[in-house]
Amino acid sequence: MSSPAPLKLTINGLPVATVAPAERVLLDLLRDDLGLVGTKRGCDLGTCGCCTVLLDGRPTLSCLTLARLVEGRTITTIEGLAPPGGLTPVQRAFVEHGATQCGFCTPGFLLTATALLRENPRPTRDEIVRAISGNLCRCTGYTKIIEAIEAASTGAP
Amino acid sequence: MHLDPFELHRPTTVEEAHRLYAERPAGADYLAGGTDLLPNYKMHLNLRPTLISLDRIPELARRDGARVGAMVRLGDLERDADFVGRYPGVARALREIATPLVRASATLGGNLLLETRCFFFNQSEFWRASLGYCLKADGDRCHVVPQKERCYATFSGDLAPALAVLDAEVELAGPGGRRTIPLLDLYDRAGDGIRRTHLRPGEILTSVLLPPAARERSATYSKLRVRPSFDFPELGVAVAARIVDGRATELRIALGGIETCPRRFDELTTPLEGAPLDGPRRRELAAAVQAAVRPVHNTFLPPDYRRRMVGVYVRRALTEVVGATAVP
Repeated sequence: MSSPAPLKLTINGLPVATVAPAERVLLDLLRDDLGLVGTKRGCDLGTCGCCTVLLDGRPTLSCLTLARLVEGRTITTIEGLAPPGGLTPVQRAFVEHGATQCGFCTPGFLLTATALLRENPRPTRDEIVRAISGNLCRCTGYTKIIEAIEAASTGAP
Repeated sequence: MHLDPFELHRPTTVEEAHRLYAERPAGADYLAGGTDLLPNYKMHLNLRPTLISLDRIPELARRDGARVGAMVRLGDLERDADFVGRYPGVARALREIATPLVRASATLGGNLLLETRCFFFNQSEFWRASLGYCLKADGDRCHVVPQKERCYATFSGDLAPALAVLDAEVELAGPGGRRTIPLLDLYDRAGDGIRRTHLRPGEILTSVLLPPAARERSATYSKLRVRPSFDFPELGVAVAARIVDGRATELRIALGGIETCPRRFDELTTPLEGAPLDGPRRRELAAAVQAAVRPVHNTFLPPDYRRRMVGVYVRRALTEVVGATAVP
């Protein structure tokens, strides 16, 4: 391990002061150092999207992001999406449409979908498909995930 | 999969980056978006003890019309309505690169300088050790074309062909000074395939320049790959031409994903300058491009299929760009 250096950033609305060696990726910082294990390690090579977090509001692969390079920036993980005990409209739509099976990919999908609806509140089906094309699900086959995001976008139950 | 320890630096000027590079004789890599370099580092491919991140150098992130900084993120470029409107062919290539998640981090310069790819290279250390390392990393022989002189790994960037048909140039800044060269002159076609570019030690690709003529051309890009939502190109075809009064001039064809470097076929298109490009001539030209390429068996699809698809994709791209012209 190279020598750890101090690192300050904002995670889920709270200021965090920690240390990280140069080679620490954001995913490991979140899971191993800060205990935020909602962010999942899938392929660890940028292919699957399970490790997606929001970096200044934009979906980003935490497995390919060096922690030191996000000094001073704002991170949202799945733990910070909704207030404790509550669900966001996108999360509620995933529950109501059965858009999750094993659940491993779900945090990544929820963060990608949340950012999509913030940028484009009424996406077409094609725009949804393109937006989630970097998140892989090996259980559901995507139909229910797309339907859930569509429902969240229109506010329909 | 953990990264081995390295030193990390974040210079704020190109000159500081050069100095850091020069002070590290044991070797350093410049780090752009990290979506190519870090997976390769995780697989222990050609590690260097120092990474010099270019993310804090303002000059590299500038965007002004026809000049785009090398550190501009692909996701930002595809959201830039001005750029997309000016260069729709490049925009098409942009949207075909990897996934939106990768494009959020990946950069223009990184895509142009993408590491070449091969079955026998893009594998874990365990896999490579089991077979015996290859010429491109840790070994001394090529497993694709068995010999010890040349690496045949494939250039898999999408933007180089799309920019090459618009006669794009690249600006380079090295410790010895700055220079501007045509984009395709960046790539070392005559080399051993391991050294893939003519970049000098420590030199940094700072920006891409599009000439005024680029906006006058109709252009397209299409890509053959296994999974349309993600994969690197098994073939990328870019075609551009200037259409005036129903005639195509300045015709350019460029390919990626097929050889060690992106390649343009001016020897085939220049003689056709101003000639009517009717159906039979387009088929003939596509067949000539197909006959000129030699893919090897180092990606997912078999080389003979990829070679035949060169003819199909070039013919379709020509029809899209010049087919609608009212040729006499």
